[in-house]
Amino acid sequence: MKVTDLETKLKLKPVNQVYDKDIDGGFVSDMVSDVMAGAQAGNVWVTVQTHKNVVAAANLVDIAAIIVVRGKKIPEDTIQMADRARMTMFSTDLDTFQVAIKLYEAGIRPKT
Amino acid sequence: MKADKCGHTWKMTDVRDGFIVTEKCYHCNLLRVYFSPEETPPKEEYKEGEHYWDYAGSAQSIQFNMRCSSCGKLVTFENLVGLMHCIGCDEGCYLNTVSRICESQNIWVYAGLCYAAGSEIDLAADKLEVLTDYFGSRLRTPGKKILVLPGSLRRSPESCRGELLKDVGLLSLEPES
Repeated sequence: MKVTDLETKLKLKPVNQVYDKDIDGGFVSDMVSDVMAGAQAGNVWVTVQTHKNVVAAANLVDIAAIIVVRGKKIPEDTIQMADRARMTMFSTDLDTFQVAIKLYEAGIRPKT
Repeated sequence: MKADKCGHTWKMTDVRDGFIVTEKCYHCNLLRVYFSPEETPPKEEYKEGEHYWDYAGSAQSIQFNMRCSSCGKLVTFENLVGLMHCIGCDEGCYLNTVSRICESQNIWVYAGLCYAAGSEIDLAADKLEVLTDYFGSRLRTPGKKILVLPGSLRRSPESCRGELLKDVGLLSLEPES
């Protein structure tokens, strides 16, 4: 699945340019240290965090896209950093649990 | 020797939760940073030599080691406080210059920040190489690379505003003071 497919299926709102990478699996956490240790390349990352070090961590492990839940406002410096790292960031009013369900329904499975 | 011939496939191991703690001497304003594996970050003031250290903040993070899954070699990172991504805050900073050059070639630079006894030191070159290899091996975007460099490439650690990978904004998870 591509990032644009995910955008359409989950009705996600991109907050920056969409970089149409392949998605392979998902990762849910609000801790960048979790992502450093456990996320895998190609994962879509679901989080409530909006700080720009979210982008720094996602870039380090080659996350495909970030979904920020519960309508959290994403600061402009985070958005700029996401574009610099060619990382799509989505916003949604859904909560983490709802997004996880929708990812599963869309065919995203844990990467083994 | 087997280790010398091994191409090494690094895996993160011995992952330890803790806090990156920043302290400031309220006499000379010197800052120091260290990783605390304690369940709550230490916040007590104390005197050490000529300095009076006062708690100046903390953030959750992890420490880890690397082990080769082929030959079993263990590389420890007990002094590594974290990886920092340059945000380009200082045009005259060498890390910024290197980062900009590398980014144009899809090479993403992170500085490995190391502290011993509170003072910043450089991570050994072989350990920087291990981190570069490990995080590089996790990538799948064609042409993308990770390069981990020493923190001493920063012109001024005191004024550097780079993004240290740590868990900020998790106040609800921090113990009450």
